[in-house]
Amino acid sequence: MAASFASKCSRVGHSLFGGLGNSLSGLVTTSQEIICNKFLSQQQQQQQRSFIQMRTVLKVVDNSGAKKVMCIQPLKGRKGARLGDTIIASVKEAHPNGKVKKGKVVYGVVVRAAMQRGRCDGSEVKFDDNAVVLVDKQGQPIGTRVFGPVPHELRMKKHVKILTLAGHIA
Amino acid sequence: MRLEKCWFCSSTVYPGHGIQFVRNDAKIFRFCRSKCHKNFKMKRNPRKVKWTKAYRRLHGKDMTQDSTFEFERKRNRPERYDRNLAEDVLKAIPKIDKIRVRREEKHHKNRMKGNKAKLLKEAARELEQGINLVKPPSVLQKDPSLTLPQIKVLVPQQQTEENRPMEE
Repeated sequence: MAASFASKCSRVGHSLFGGLGNSLSGLVTTSQEIICNKFLSQQQQQQQRSFIQMRTVLKVVDNSGAKKVMCIQPLKGRKGARLGDTIIASVKEAHPNGKVKKGKVVYGVVVRAAMQRGRCDGSEVKFDDNAVVLVDKQGQPIGTRVFGPVPHELRMKKHVKILTLAGHIA
Repeated sequence: MRLEKCWFCSSTVYPGHGIQFVRNDAKIFRFCRSKCHKNFKMKRNPRKVKWTKAYRRLHGKDMTQDSTFEFERKRNRPERYDRNLAEDVLKAIPKIDKIRVRREEKHHKNRMKGNKAKLLKEAARELEQGINLVKPPSVLQKDPSLTLPQIKVLVPQQQTEENRPMEE
C-alpha cells in the first residue's frame, strides 16, 4: 500500500519536473538557432563541385611542359567532362622550355576530378583537385611521367599508357 | 572481394555503398555513408565523436582486446581455394560469433556494475528534494506518515533490518 502510494507520488513529481523542463526549453531555443546558423554557414563553405566545363582551369600532372590549361571544349556529354573524359584545352601557363608552349590548343584526359564519379559497383570516388594529362589526337600521352594518383577507370577508356606511367592507382 | 572499413565510424563498407575520397598524396579515405563523409568534410575527429567505434574503443566502452578479433584481419596473401578448409571456416564462423557475443555481454555487464546503486541513490535524492512540489511542507509536518514510508522503501535492505530492532 505504502509502496504504491510512493510510486504515485514519484510519478506526479516527474510530471511536474517535466513541465518545468518544457517552460525552460523556450529559453534554450535561441542558442539552438545560433548553433544551427553556424552549422549552415559551415556547409556553405563546402563548395558544390560540378562538371569540368568551358573555362575550367585544370592542373597538368605530367612533364609535357604545360602547368595550367583552360578547358575550351569538353569532348563528350552535353553537360561537361568528368573523370576519365577527354577535353580540348588551351595552355595558359607553361614552363619556359617544355614540349608544349603557352597558347597552344591541346587534348587532355581528366585523371582527377573533384566531382564524384560513380564506379562500376555503385560506390563513388572523388579527388582533391581537377587535373589533366595532355595527350595527342591518337590518345598517346605527350609527357613521359604522370604525377599523383589516377583512377583505374582509365583502363576502360583505353588509356593504359597513362596507367602504366602513374605511380599510384586508386 | 574485400570488405573495407569506414574511415570515420569503422563499420564495414559493403560493395556498392558509400564514397571514397582520394587525397593528392594517394591516401584513400573510404566512407560507409554520407553521414560519415559529411563529418569528415566538417573536419571532425572520429575519436571525439561519441557514436564512432574509435571513440568507444578509446573510452573503454567496447571490448578491445580479445582473441576472437584475431580471425577478422587484413591479409594481403591470397589463399588457395580448398574445399575442406572452406567448409571448416563456414562451420567455425557462427561458433566464434557466439563466443564473441557472450564475451561482449560480459564486458558490458562488468562496465555497468555500479550503476543500479547510483540510480537508486539519485532517485531517492530527487524524491527528497522534490516532494515539496507535490505536497507543501506544512502538510507534511501535520501528517508525517506521507513521507517516511517512501524513504524507507528506497533505502537499501541492510539498513531497514538495522532499524527494526530499534523500533522494538
